[in-house]
Amino acid sequence: MQQRSDDRLIAYLDGELETTQRCEVEAWLDADPDARRRMAKLAESAHLLRSVLDEAVREPVPDRLIAAARGETPRRLTRAEIVPFHRRLSGRVAAPRPWRTGLPVAASVIGILLGSTASYLGVGKLTLDGAAGRPAARETAAVNNLWLDNAAGYFKLIVNAGDNPPVDVSATGDPREALQKISQSLPQEVRLPDLKPWGLSFRGARLVVQEGRPAAALVYTTDNKAIGPLGLIIGSSKQPDISPTFDRRQDVNLLYWRHQGRAFALVGQADIGYLWGIANDVAWQLDAV
Amino acid sequence: MSAQFGDQLIAVLPRLRRFARGLSGSLTDADDLVQAACERALARQHQFQEGTRFDSWMFRIVQTIWIDQVRSRDVRKEDGDVAEDRLGSDEPVRRVEARLALDEVRRALDCLPPDQRTALLLVTVEGLSYKEAADTVQVPVGTIMSRLARARIALQMQLEAGRGGRRSARNAAAQ
Repeated sequence: MQQRSDDRLIAYLDGELETTQRCEVEAWLDADPDARRRMAKLAESAHLLRSVLDEAVREPVPDRLIAAARGETPRRLTRAEIVPFHRRLSGRVAAPRPWRTGLPVAASVIGILLGSTASYLGVGKLTLDGAAGRPAARETAAVNNLWLDNAAGYFKLIVNAGDNPPVDVSATGDPREALQKISQSLPQEVRLPDLKPWGLSFRGARLVVQEGRPAAALVYTTDNKAIGPLGLIIGSSKQPDISPTFDRRQDVNLLYWRHQGRAFALVGQADIGYLWGIANDVAWQLDAV
Repeated sequence: MSAQFGDQLIAVLPRLRRFARGLSGSLTDADDLVQAACERALARQHQFQEGTRFDSWMFRIVQTIWIDQVRSRDVRKEDGDVAEDRLGSDEPVRRVEARLALDEVRRALDCLPPDQRTALLLVTVEGLSYKEAADTVQVPVGTIMSRLARARIALQMQLEAGRGGRRSARNAAAQ
């Protein structure tokens, strides 16, 4: 009987009971302090178990595992070998635009807020030299390229700004309220992923342009220098879905993906393993897997 | 290998590492296990059925490899034998009490039979439903329920025993 009772409590804790059964258990718990005590202990032990193992999802994934997942030998994957997006595009539509580390902040702002819109609109009109093979793919790649340039540029602004990241709405009060204000200017509501388990605090949000449409750039900061400040850009997209994909702009790592009309980019200087872990967390929280 | 398959695999790596760590009880063994699972998944990607859960498929591969290893190596661990690379041994120093509690959880987990440990990890840590966990390890739902119940009760009792031991040690130290 005892065993059976505990089975029922466990199923209740695991959310496996139907409404009637759940009500029965709740009535039982109301009436029986011993059952309440047992359930509290079961819940506590489950919590401890998760605490022990949750570290694993917050650590950087070792390079050898990423290499194994890609079917590569570990020796073939080193951080220096992340191929810049420019190099991957053969016969690019436009000349490569090398980064200049001393780019003035004002120029970056203009480039991000205005340039991307104009650039995006121009993309569709480009003649694709030698692109008889896959013009659509090239156009998608060009769109990716532009908005990743902008995402990295915006991230540079955050880094340059230090303790006062340039945000349109600060998260000084209720972070959700800040996000609501930003959401009013967006085609769809943006939810705020909780990245506190990573030590990341939400600092505010800003409107940026992505694929010629307004998007939200969420800014997170942390004392953990291994992760550093982080930008998460969430916008809408008419491009096809893609799985999380790495790219890089100088010392800025980008992990971007598109899911059911939404586009996401995680931008920072954190190790790629951290970015994978955080992106995984964001994707689960925002139903963007 | 399709890039999409590789991307799916990379996205699930953190959770595979957590699951493997729970099974093996060792940081190094867990990563070896995940690496082997990736290699096997890539070799058998044609067996994955679109429309089914990719993470469950990978959990099954990890669990199968681990069970094979347990059987072939007979890695029955002795009570109190905490290897240097055990879970979290490289984490920043925390309060002793908290660490002892976590060590007890690890020990309790290691004491569970493989089947119960798997059920506990899939449902309690990975958040699978009973049905999903049953599909993953290919047993009836009732079997998962009974394994899970035994595992959770054993885990709780082990923690209680550990707590009692710590209390006794503290009292003895205070006298």
